[in-house]
Amino acid sequence: MRKYGILVTVLVVSLLLASSLGQLAGAQSEADEIKIGLVAPLTGGASTTGTDMWESAVLAADEINAAGGINVNGVNMQIKLVKGDTETSREGGVKVVTKLITEDEVDLLVGGFSSGITSADQVVAAEHKVPFIITGASSPIITHRTDIDTTYFFHHCPTTDDYGESTILFVDEIVKPAIYEQFEFADDRPLRLAVLYQDSAYGVGVYDGIKKTIENYDLNMELVAEEKFKMSETDFRTTLTVIKAAEPDVVYPAAFLNEQTLIVSQGRRDVGLNTIYLSVECNDDPDYYTGVERWGEYSIQESRFGPYAIPSGPLQNAVVKFRDDFEAKWGAPPSMMGASTYEGVYIAAEAVKDAGTRDKEAVRDALDELEMPQMVEGMKDGVITFTSDYRESKFELYMQQLIWDESVGETRPKIVWPDSVKETDFVLPDWYEPGSAPTETATPTWTPAPTSEATPVTTATPTEAPTTTPEEPGFEAVFAIAGLLAVAYLTLRRQK
Amino acid sequence: MIQILVWGIYAGCIYILLAIGLNLIFGVMKVVNFAHGELLMLGAYAAFWIYTFSSINPYLIIPASMLLIALLGVFIERLGFRPVRGTGKLNEIFLSLGLIYLFQNLVAFLWSTNSRSIRSPYGDVVLSIGSTKLPLDYLIIIIVTIVFLIAFQLFMKKTTTGRAMRATSQNREAAALMGINVERMDMLSFALGSALAAAAGGLWLISGQMADPYMGGIPAIKAFAVIIIGGLGSIPGAIVAGLTLGIAENVVPFFMQALVAVFGYEMSFTGWKDTVAFFILIIVLILRPTGIFGEKGE
Repeated sequence: MRKYGILVTVLVVSLLLASSLGQLAGAQSEADEIKIGLVAPLTGGASTTGTDMWESAVLAADEINAAGGINVNGVNMQIKLVKGDTETSREGGVKVVTKLITEDEVDLLVGGFSSGITSADQVVAAEHKVPFIITGASSPIITHRTDIDTTYFFHHCPTTDDYGESTILFVDEIVKPAIYEQFEFADDRPLRLAVLYQDSAYGVGVYDGIKKTIENYDLNMELVAEEKFKMSETDFRTTLTVIKAAEPDVVYPAAFLNEQTLIVSQGRRDVGLNTIYLSVECNDDPDYYTGVERWGEYSIQESRFGPYAIPSGPLQNAVVKFRDDFEAKWGAPPSMMGASTYEGVYIAAEAVKDAGTRDKEAVRDALDELEMPQMVEGMKDGVITFTSDYRESKFELYMQQLIWDESVGETRPKIVWPDSVKETDFVLPDWYEPGSAPTETATPTWTPAPTSEATPVTTATPTEAPTTTPEEPGFEAVFAIAGLLAVAYLTLRRQK
Repeated sequence: MIQILVWGIYAGCIYILLAIGLNLIFGVMKVVNFAHGELLMLGAYAAFWIYTFSSINPYLIIPASMLLIALLGVFIERLGFRPVRGTGKLNEIFLSLGLIYLFQNLVAFLWSTNSRSIRSPYGDVVLSIGSTKLPLDYLIIIIVTIVFLIAFQLFMKKTTTGRAMRATSQNREAAALMGINVERMDMLSFALGSALAAAAGGLWLISGQMADPYMGGIPAIKAFAVIIIGGLGSIPGAIVAGLTLGIAENVVPFFMQALVAVFGYEMSFTGWKDTVAFFILIIVLILRPTGIFGEKGE
């Protein structure tokens, strides 16, 4: 019995010792590492994008660690990534950000795909004051909202305002003159623009960005149709027929890939709306080029990092290296969200190095002051830095025109704007049909002053211009009440 | 207007194929399969993968994808619905709801959430009939649906198996007493319903839609609206309601727009497309709770 007692005691003491040593080693290793929580949808509807974000983050962390880690006040620290799966849902986002902060005790957060999910989970990060470099949510509301403390949030991806601005400026500078020259329109004729937007934060954000740009830059454009659709809509024919009746010169859908593909193909094939279609950057994806087939030819694709075109200039080699390294490691090329997340990890590393500590407030201050060279996506002035007002980094977006490539049997994008990275000139196809000449009653809604040339007025204060469109008289309510009354009447009649 | 009617008929064809399958399963088994949209999705994926590996004309792939999904239907019926049959409607409902998540996540896991598409060899061909433009793919889909419907009616009315299925649908106990193997009829109806959903998915994909793991949700809701409007278990009801719904969705927004224009207002009703389906559904339910062709007691 005594022998057993000794044996049990030895075992217990050994276990306790081992456990203490393990904790000590763990504490030692934790002291030498920077924990970054990668917030991404690794399962659920957006899992493909989320996986790409995770893989890009791993590539960045591996590169930094292989180069010796981050020198934090003389101590070389390694990056440790912690997976945070939002499950493509708001509830999942809140749950995982809470776990990353309270259980894993991460030093920073990087990622955050989808404005809806991020706007929910960022509340937790704000409460705990954890710096969050957001690389995948496009709504400006993420850093503009006032109901929480947003000073720990740094937005490293273009916002919907940015998409709208770059695309509309491109239309004004390049597409409009081409149309006006071809059809001999008078300079004071407003360009007729139709917007078809998804009824979501993303779609409404792009729509607002378009209106703001026209207003802020005093552009001679008229919004002749403003139609919205539900997410995942598959039949756009009726809506496109209404748009066609409005006779637009250009159509700007704010849609996701599966919707954009159908808008362009149904618009051209079924409705005969032979116009220039614009497209938001999230559609710069191999699946889009396959799905849109020949109907996408000559349409415009805004981008910052795409699967095919590489902007010429100082970034070219870095982009090629990133793509090659990613493909060598993961077997497939990276996506746009992957590129900004890859940069996000480097930004986090740089901020900790600049702060000289992992203290969250000091890291936040370092991010505020951050200035580092652009990496694989073009940035304004070639520098990654965050604006002082809403902590947004500003990207150099470019426009591509889809040109049919017989060798692959699909369209391929060619960069047509801006001049600094342009591959070829914009082409107005021979099948293109412009909108009508303006009628006397068609007063531009957001374009009071026609100008022959777009002169950016960046300091312009947005003011709500008077609109000639009659206000909607609350028909939804009228019909709803009438419908309810009809139902009530019929039910009562049946009961009798 | 003719142009819009054509789009409505094309949309209606997809709804009809999906709704007939649902109706058949409900008619024979008295089971509401909420995962029917996922069978459409799996049919689209089956067509996509067969097309990718074979590169033959995608329309010729449809029978193969129907066969695959019919086999899957047999498995679902044998392993899923048969064990829970008679244990309560709630069990059947939750089983089919579970199948939705199972199939969606399985497809997302196996083939990612990327959108997939098939290039129709007739994608560029648009027929001009007067001022009406009719893509050849739509015409083929309308013809294929008509062929399926005729074949389906012939099968149900002229073959012994079809008659046995109808008998099971009308009175399960009596059919069993007459020597019909009702469990075999359950299996066959699930297989046939799944095959029709696969045909709808494949044809939808070829006509320019894109396949992803979540594509089945909206068509399934529309198919449910169709069978409720047409009458649960009624095949002619599904055909009439499918066409009505497809056409109404496309035509009503224009009528509404014209109507308010009379009062001097400019307003777009294109966003009300889905509301139309459910408004028709509510009206039909109030006026005729069993649906247009439904029988009392269903």
